[in-house]
Parts: sequence; C-alpha cells; structure tokens
Amino acid sequence: MKRVIERGPAPEPIGISVPRRDGIEKVTGAASFTTDLTLPGLAHARLLRSPYAHARIRSIDAEAARRHPGVIAVVTAADLPGVQLEYGHAVADHPLIATGKVRFAGEVVVGVVAEDAATADEALRLIEVDYDPLPYATTVEEALAPGAPVLHEKAGRQGAHRGFEEDITRDHPNVCSTFRQAWGEIEDAFTGAHLVLEGTWHYPMCYAFAMEPYTSVAEWKDGELTVWSSAQHPYMVRDDLAHVFHLPLSAVRVIVPYVGGGYGSKSYTKIEPLTAALALKAGRPVRLALNVDDAILTTRGDGATVQLRSAFDRDGRLLGRQATVRLDSGAYAENSPLVGRKAANRLGGPYRIPALEVTCQVVYTNTAPASSFRGFGAPQVVFAAESQMDEAAEALGLDPLEIRRRNLVERGERPWPKVRGLDAKLADDLALAAAELDWSTPPAPGVGRAVCVSASDAGSEPVTTATLRVHPDGSVTVLCGSTEIGQGSATALAQIAAGEMGVPLEKVRLVQSDTAAVTYDRSTGASRTTTLMGLAIRNAARDVKAQLLEWARESWAGEDAPEPVLEHAGIRVGDRLAGWGEVVRAWFAGDYGEAIGRGYLRKAGETAEMPPFWEVGCVGVEVRVDESTGEIHVEKLVTIGDVGCAVNPQLAEAQDVGAAIMGLGMAMREELIYEDGNLVNGNLYDYRVPRFTDLPELRTVLVERGDGVGVYGAKGGGEGALNPVASAIANAVRRATGARLREAPFTPERVWEALRERDAANGR
Amino acid sequence: MIPRFAHRRPRSLADAFAAFDAAGGDCAWYAGGTELLAVMKMGFAQFGTLIDLKSVPELGGISADADGALRIGATVTHREIERSPHVLRHLPGLAALEREVANIRVRNTGTLGGNLAFAEPHSDPATFLLACDARVELAGPAGAREMAIDELIVGPLTTSREADELLVAIRVPAPAAGEGRAYAKLAFFERPAASVGVRVRVVDGAIADATVAVGSLTDLPIVLPAAGAALAGLPAEPAALDAGLGAAIAVLGEIDAIPDHNGSADYKRHLAGILLGRAVTQAVEEARAHA
Amino acid sequence: MRETVEISLQVNERAQSLRIEPRETLADVLRDRLGLTGTKVSCDAQVCGACTVLVDGRTVSACTFLAVDADGGAVRTVEGLARDGVLTPLQQAFIDEAAFQCGFCTPGMLMAATALLEENPHPTEDEVKEGLDGNLCRCTGYAPIVAAVLRAAEAGR
Ligand SMILES: Cc1cc2nc3c(=O)[nH]c(=O)nc-3n(C[C@H](O)[C@H](O)[C@H](O)COP(=O)(O)OP(=O)(O)OC[C@H]3O[C@@H](n4cnc5c(N)ncnc54)[C@H](O)[C@@H]3O)c2cc1C
Ligand code: FES
Ligand code: FES
Repeated sequence: MKRVIERGPAPEPIGISVPRRDGIEKVTGAASFTTDLTLPGLAHARLLRSPYAHARIRSIDAEAARRHPGVIAVVTAADLPGVQLEYGHAVADHPLIATGKVRFAGEVVVGVVAEDAATADEALRLIEVDYDPLPYATTVEEALAPGAPVLHEKAGRQGAHRGFEEDITRDHPNVCSTFRQAWGEIEDAFTGAHLVLEGTWHYPMCYAFAMEPYTSVAEWKDGELTVWSSAQHPYMVRDDLAHVFHLPLSAVRVIVPYVGGGYGSKSYTKIEPLTAALALKAGRPVRLALNVDDAILTTRGDGATVQLRSAFDRDGRLLGRQATVRLDSGAYAENSPLVGRKAANRLGGPYRIPALEVTCQVVYTNTAPASSFRGFGAPQVVFAAESQMDEAAEALGLDPLEIRRRNLVERGERPWPKVRGLDAKLADDLALAAAELDWSTPPAPGVGRAVCVSASDAGSEPVTTATLRVHPDGSVTVLCGSTEIGQGSATALAQIAAGEMGVPLEKVRLVQSDTAAVTYDRSTGASRTTTLMGLAIRNAARDVKAQLLEWARESWAGEDAPEPVLEHAGIRVGDRLAGWGEVVRAWFAGDYGEAIGRGYLRKAGETAEMPPFWEVGCVGVEVRVDESTGEIHVEKLVTIGDVGCAVNPQLAEAQDVGAAIMGLGMAMREELIYEDGNLVNGNLYDYRVPRFTDLPELRTVLVERGDGVGVYGAKGGGEGALNPVASAIANAVRRATGARLREAPFTPERVWEALRERDAANGR
Repeated sequence: MIPRFAHRRPRSLADAFAAFDAAGGDCAWYAGGTELLAVMKMGFAQFGTLIDLKSVPELGGISADADGALRIGATVTHREIERSPHVLRHLPGLAALEREVANIRVRNTGTLGGNLAFAEPHSDPATFLLACDARVELAGPAGAREMAIDELIVGPLTTSREADELLVAIRVPAPAAGEGRAYAKLAFFERPAASVGVRVRVVDGAIADATVAVGSLTDLPIVLPAAGAALAGLPAEPAALDAGLGAAIAVLGEIDAIPDHNGSADYKRHLAGILLGRAVTQAVEEARAHA
Repeated sequence: MRETVEISLQVNERAQSLRIEPRETLADVLRDRLGLTGTKVSCDAQVCGACTVLVDGRTVSACTFLAVDADGGAVRTVEGLARDGVLTPLQQAFIDEAAFQCGFCTPGMLMAATALLEENPHPTEDEVKEGLDGNLCRCTGYAPIVAAVLRAAEAGR
C-alpha cells in the first residue's frame, strides 16, 4: 500500500493502523453472530415458498402440518389479523407473508414454527397450497410489453420514509417509480456536436452473498418486542416493526450482534417482521435462520439496461448526455426507488456536462426483489458511461486518460446545480492510477490497460446521533447506532473518540447497535459511518468537553482561582492539567458520577449541503485475453482510495481491496439467471463469486487530501473501488483485442462472441 | 436438514450385502456422502438406511502391478489418488486431474467409486478413465462382474449397476509401449464446461491409434471413435499436430451438445476442440517418454 | 423410527461421548450439542468452507459431514487453536494483516490454513492460493489472507 498524504495532522490514534478491536474474538471463534444466539424456550421456524413466479393462492391446507408432533404454530397471512402486513421503506408494497397472491418464485407463503428446525421442515412437506398460476414477466421487456401481466393491481402506499412522492407516478402499472434528472439545453448539445455516440449496456442482477445468511430471533414480552437480527440498519428495522405491529417506537428493541457481511444486502428490513409475527403466533421466542438458497431469494442487486447517448465537441469535451435507465427491481419496491435515483445521479458523476437528461425507471418483474447493494446504482451506470468515454477517446484519437482529464470537474466545482462541490482531485487520482499501471510504456501484444473513474453522491441523509460518557476514572464509553458489519466501525469509531478526547484507545469502549441502549443512527451504509458517525462522535466529544469546562469553573471557582482553559486532553487550571475524570470527580464531589456528551448531526451546518460527501472511485486494470476460449485474465488491479483522511489506513485499504474484488466478481462471472419464471442458479455451485485463484496483482494507493466533510477531512470509502471495475475491464479488453463488451458479466462465451463479431466486422 | 435414516457400518463385503438385505431395499450405499448427503438435504432422495462402505476393507487401497496397471479401490478418495505414488508414476494425468476436482474438502472425503456410481454428467474421472479404457469391478450378493466405464454409465445419474451391487474397484490398464494419456478441461463455474480425455499410441514418430472421450457436453461422457481415427497417422510433432487436428476437431463439432450456463452448444463444441488440442499435445509428450 | 447412535470423539483434545441421530452433521453436533459456535455454516453445500474443521488432520465441510463419521476420531475447530489464551502465529497474523472483516469466513479459513501449513510449512504465494481456493471470503478480497498465511509461515520458520 502506498499513501499520499496532503492533509493536516490529526491527533493519535486517528490515522494509525491500530489492530482491529474485534480481532481476538473473530480469530478465536468467540465472536457472536445472530446465528449463534440461543434463548430459553427458543423455537425454530422454516418457510414454505412459492414455486410459481406469479399465481393466485386459492387455498392453503395446513391441517396436517398443524397436527404434526412438535409443531407449535403454522402461520399464513390469514392468521395475522391486526398486523399491518405490508411494509417497505419507499413504497409499502411488500407483505411480510404472501397475501392472496405470489409475485415471484420463492415468495414466502407459509411459516412453520416447531421445537426444532428438522420438525418444522417435516411439517412443511405436509402443507398443500392450491395455486392458480398467472402469466408472468421476469424481464423488464416483458413487464413493459403491451398487455403485460400486472404485478401490483393497486399502487403501493407511501412507505415508512417519505420523499419519493414525485417518483411514484405509475406511468405504467409495472413501473414502480420513475426518476428524472435534467439540466441544461439537451437539444442544443446534440445539434452542435462534433461526435455523438450511442449504445446500450446491460448489467446483471447480482447476489451479495453475505456469508452469514439472513437470521433473526424475535421475542415478545409484555407486549414489547425484542429482535436480534443480522441487520445493517437497526433503527430502520425498528421503525418498520413498530409500524407493522402498531407499537410505539420505544416498545421495539432491535439488537444487532456481529454481522457476517452486509454490502447493502442487509440494509433496511428483511425477515424481521416475519420472525416477529411467527413469534407472536407461537407465543415463544422464534429463530428464523435462512440458508444461502433462501437468502438469494430475499434480496438481490438491481439488473440494469442503460441506453446512453453522449455528445462531444472536437476536443473530446462532453456537451451533453442523454440516458434511459431501466432497473429490473423484482416483485417489490424495497429500496429500488432510491437505487433508481442514485443511478440517474451517478450517470453525470465526475464530469462537467453542460446538458443532461436521464430517465430512470424502476420496473416490477416477477423475480426476487432487488434493493440496496454496494455501489447502489453506480456499477450499473458507470459501466455504460465509462465505456462510452473510451469509445469517444478512440473515435477522436485521444488517449483515454486525456479525454477524462479534459472533462473532470475540479475540486470544489459542482457536478450539477445545487449539489455540494466535488471534494476530490480526480485528475490527480487518475494520474496515480496510470502511474501504477506504467501507462506510458506500451503493453505487450494481447494485453490491454484501462483506467476508469466514478463519483457517487454518497453518505445518505446525515441524520445521526452519538452519546459519549466520561467516567470518573477518565475512561470513556461511546454509544452509537452504527453496526459492525466487518468494515471496522468498532475500531475506527473508537479511534475517533480516543483522538477527539485525547485519551488512550484502551480507555474507550464502544457500544453499538441496540436501539434500546444506544442513540439513533439512520443507517450503516452509503459509506457513511466513519464520516457521519465520526462527526456525531466528535460533536459529542465537543459537547462533553464544554460541559466539563463549565464543571471545572463551578468546581474550582474562587477569588483568585485561575480561569480553567480547555485543552485537547483535559482542562488546564493554572499550571496543572486536570484530566476529564478529575473534573467529573470534582463536580460530583466524590469518586462517582459521569458526564454525558450529546452528538447530533442533521442536514444543517457543515452537513447542510447534499450529498454530505462524494465517494469517488478510481480503478486501473491490465488484462490479457485468451482468444481461443474467450477467457479474460485480469493480471493487475489498481485502486486509488481517495478517502480524505484514513482514520485507520489498514482498514481503509481493506475496504478498497474488498470492493474492487467484489466488482471483479460481478464483471467476470456473477449473474442471477431466470428461466421459465424460476431462478436457475440460485446456489453457490452455479453463482460463482471470486476465489483466491482469481486474485490479480493488486496495488492500492491511499490518498488523503483532507477534503472530506468528516473528521480531519475524512470521507467515505468502501464502494468507490467497485463502481468502475466492469468498465475498466471492458475497456482494457477492447484495447487488447479490439472487441467491445456491452453485457456484464464477461463470461468466456460472451467474450468469444464479441471476438467473432470483431472478426466479422474486420471481414475475417 | 437431512431426512432421518439409520446408519450401518459393515466390516466386510458380506456384511454389507447382509445390511442391504436387512434394509429391504430402502437403503443406499454411502461412501464420502458428498453427493448423497447433498441430494438428501435438498429433499431429492430419502433412504431408510445408509450403509457406509468406508469400513469395508475390500473396497480400499491403490495397487499397481509391475507393468503399471492400476487398481484403485472404490472408497479411495480423490485426495489419496492425487498423492498416490502409484498413480503419480503410472497415470500422472489422473493425479493432475484429481488435483483440480472440486475443493480440498470434497477431495478429502469424496471417493472415486462415489463419483462414478453417481454418474454426474460433468465427472472428470469418468471422462478420462473412459479414454483410458478403464474397467470397473462390481460385486453383489449374486457374484462379481466387471465392465467398461461406458457400460457402467448409461445416462445422466444412471448406471447399469443393480441396486444391491456395489463398485469394488477401478482398473486402469498399463500403458502400452509408446502410449500416452492426458486430460484437459475448462471450468468457469463449479463443474467443468467441457473436458477431453485422450489416449494415443505413438509408433515411429506418428500416432498409430487413439481414443478420444469428451465430457460435460452431453448428458454423459462419450467416446468418439471417429475422432480417435482422425488422429491416427498424425506425426507426433507439436507443429504438425496443430496443423493436423482439423479432422478430429470436426468430429467434435458434430456433438449434439447441451447448452448450459457455460454457453451455447456451439461454444461448448468449440471449447472441446481447443481442449482436444491441449490433451493430444500432452498425451503425445507422455507417449514419447514411454517410447 | 428415531435411531440414535453413541459416538466418542476427541474435540479439541477433549474426549466427548454423545448420543446422536445418524443424520446429524458434524456442524450440528459442534454448534448445537457442544456449544462450539465458532464453526459457521453458510452455503450448506460444501462450496464456501465457512464450516471447515479438521477431522484426523484432514479438512472437511462440517455442514455435509456426518458426525458418525468422526466417531473415534479427533476433531479440531477454531476454538482449539489458541492455548491458554495464547494465539497461534496464524491467528496473530490474521490480526496483524487484517485478514478478516466480518469474520464469518474466518473460523473455516483459519482451519483450512492451519491444515495447509501443517502439511506445507513454507508455502509459496501460489501454493497458498491454490490450497485455500475452496474457502470463500466475500469481504477481504483475499489479499490480506494470503499475506497473513505467508506471515505465519515466516513466523514459524
Ligand atoms: C462442491 C463440489 C464440487 C465438485 N466438483 C467436481 C468436479 O469438478 N469434478 C468431478 O468430477 N466431480 C466433482 N464433484 C463430485 C465429487 O467428485 C463427488 O461428490 C464424489 O467423488 C462422490 O464421492 P462420495 O464418496 O462422496 O459419494 P457418495 O455421496 O457417498 O455417493 C454418491 C452416489 O454413489 C453411490 N455409491 C457410493 N459409493 C458406491 C460404491 N462403491 N458402489 C456403488 N454405489 C456407490 C451412493 O449410493 C450415491 O448414490 C464435486 C462435488 C461437490 C460437492
Ligand atoms: S457451509 Fe459448509 S461449505 Fe459452506
Ligand atoms: S471476512 Fe467476511 S467473509 Fe471473510
């Protein structure tokens, strides 16, 4: 790992690669995940899923299952009167269990709770469901065709979180939402253009494969609900649960132990309402642990078709961009309306585009629902946009680096009206990536290189709180709602607290993600935690320090007592530095008590402008293609981790590498395939994620220019390195072979076909 | 969840047949369980009793005779084969193939007998052993018999084995003078996309006769006599081989391949052609060493 | 017809005798009966390696390995690596190299790497990649795991 540091100093341990605080637990097997939890009286649930892509449920005969020894409860929608079955973040269209109709093969129709999972499994086989199959549409084309089967007869209710009103226009019954992004005079841009390029790109539906499949445990006591879950956003889950069961927010407690991977797939609410409903009917705490085959039917990434037209002047400057993006969002809205918005925004991205017009439709199909997934709309559209930039360079005889340089927005410049100015020097990042690839030395024949960039409006809504408690011995407890999903928040946030308070890291304890014990955080996603929770913790530290200063004044007031002065690690009283603990003890007049600091963050002040920060991506690759088989060998992969301030450089690098390799998987092999209404590769045999032997030579450069909104200029990472990977590989393949890839993943057969097209075009 | 079953651990072949008889037919032979347990877990099969063959001594062990003919017991694991000095010496292509089967855990438990008895259409060993003219020893309460691989594997997941019969061992003939055997595959997902096993006999610098087997294209591995015949007469020199493979590749081009997530029938046939070239080159190299 | 059988095995060098159903996998027995929840189950299909444990020194997928097949054998799990709170060089190297993020693959990864190093104490980088290829990690992108195994090998020299 290389580092480029052009930022001001930060107090230790900020900026130091301290070992992960979850290390010992995780290497000894002691780390406890939701799946490891047991409770007295815990019962186990299994689910019956629809074999049909689209069908009316005529009847369900579950009598034999109910009578099966060891069965505690058999639950269908009919068994849940009084429960608000539909939930959903943007559009409340998702019943927690099928109501009258199923909309994808794999939808949950019946839940069985039994003494053990094996018994529940046996009971499932005794249930008879009579379906009336309906015509189905498993692709966007089918769903938008005239006379297409309609998935949702009624428009979904506005969901738990407002803000999508204008998107939910229903210009077609299978269009869940439409988002339009436009500025400038688009007609003029194309009329005056020297070069107009047009193309269509396809990005697959993908599966996040968090290694821990979704697992929840729910327990009711005295009308109050506690849920343990592998969820990224405990507070969002709390809100949905309160809504579904008509409870006050305070009656719902969501606890998130260690999470075995998220990548966005555990954002928002998944199986928690169902688990809670099963526990309600069973009168016992219930565990619902999905396996991978179930998880793959629970959430996936949106597939996309991107039709993109761009206009350039003779120097390669972008004049305008026009695009239609269609997302294949599956049977329920989930978070796809937001993915659609972001996809539209991320098509403009890092370039100065005088005129832009993007329409993004989020389309319902009879497939498993799509929702957030690392990159969040960006991988889909950046594949098209960055491929087209290389096409333009080629058409104009420009170096791919040069055409990008001519179009990149400068730091501080707004990529489009009313947004925060870009907080990165992308041209410099691009130069770093090119240098790592030896750009100026021509590659060997059959080898191709490419560098691609992206910019995502990241961070989500800056609504976050933190509580910082100072104990009489000077040690500190931080309460925060961010979850530890592997990204290292438990370590980085503790480093920020230690750095801000000027106390040793060993004296900081971080308590996370229990909605009854820690204060509100909107979400752990959109690369926001180090930046936004970091700021909330800083604010809490400032708050507690201000109080402690006040306390020092009160405690040590006197005629000729010196005026206490706030310093980084304590309060100076005359020639003496009083530690925080001493101030607490003095104020309470004894060896007890504590000071409580409150950290709030909202859309105001430094985080008033949206997005809170830009997450930039800059990736370079070098590939070799075996033309006989169509296999691509990615030999080098360069990522530039432009994170403003790396609170923990080792963890920041780890995010970049992990994201880039995930991007490699999606570019090369990952794709969910539907045939005859069914997912045909819904298992890890056929859905192939990257392995050790796929690992290219990796180079990471961490760039710290202090230009983010977070502490010491930090800004988010962890997704940026994924977004440009597919386009970089496609562009490098083009340069190695002359073949152009427009459909990901780049399976050997697709590459072989593209090579044959190249040959046909060349008259070979 | 694996559906409930009873478990038997016979200590001899006779014991095994007695256990089968006692289970009244509602039972399965069980070796590594890497296929069987997976199938049961998915609910595709259920058996009252599993009869573990790993405890039956007659089914284990690898031996070689002085000429290099191999006998591999049915319960020998992939991992044992990949490291067996006998196999490394007399049939290095099999050891190399085994190193690329599945992952190390499956190789540690999965057996050759289980692989062949399951008759999965993408089986690597089945394709290669077919090209090597290997034979399978079977035993049942009614006695023992032996057969060629293509007599055993008669369809996808289908063998000609009687229910109460079991695979005892696989016998691979010793290489004749000037003979070489090699295997090449391409896998983009868990199982191969295409694979080719080749046996060649080189006499006086040219291929005298050859066997070509192709796996993963159709629903069982197949021998293509016409492809073998098209190799005969080619000079055993790399350049000449490259130039002369066309006729044999054309035979592969006629295979009625089944499209799957690896690609279309056309593409899979194309891959088989590429693999034929790789396998022949290696087999000829080995043949030269045996000359 | 609920047949049970008695098995005796060593788990992390401690003798255990249990009465189980033959259908119980080694992962079930370790996690649910012995409370050794370090061993994880992910794909449940022998592909990912999250459930990797050692039986008589060999790695197996505990998700699809019958506990009866470990009868009379010695099983090692992630809980058995550190002794008296002292991490093995491999565990320490995993911490030093940040060779995990969410940690869900880590127990299986550590067991696979332990077996690899016991068999080949000084592997090359390619041998590490080949040897661990059957263990998936979705978080790290593998590079830090390779570095950790090589570091542990170096420490063991
Ligand atoms: C993840 C994964 C990847 C794989 N990849 C590959 C690959 O790349 N290439 C490849 O070739 N294979 C591959 N396989 C298949 C693997 O080789 C087989 O699973 C294994 O060899 C089967 O052996 P087993 O002892 O476990 O059989 P079991 O599961 O015990 O038995 C399989 C079948 O054979 C029967 N049987 C077993 N032994 C006998 C016997 N001696 N006589 C009669 N019947 C018997 C059983 O009743 C059962 O029907 C893969 C498997 C998995 C799980
Ligand atoms: S859980 Fe056993 S290999 Fe994946
Ligand atoms: S650390 Fe999360 S899967 Fe490996």
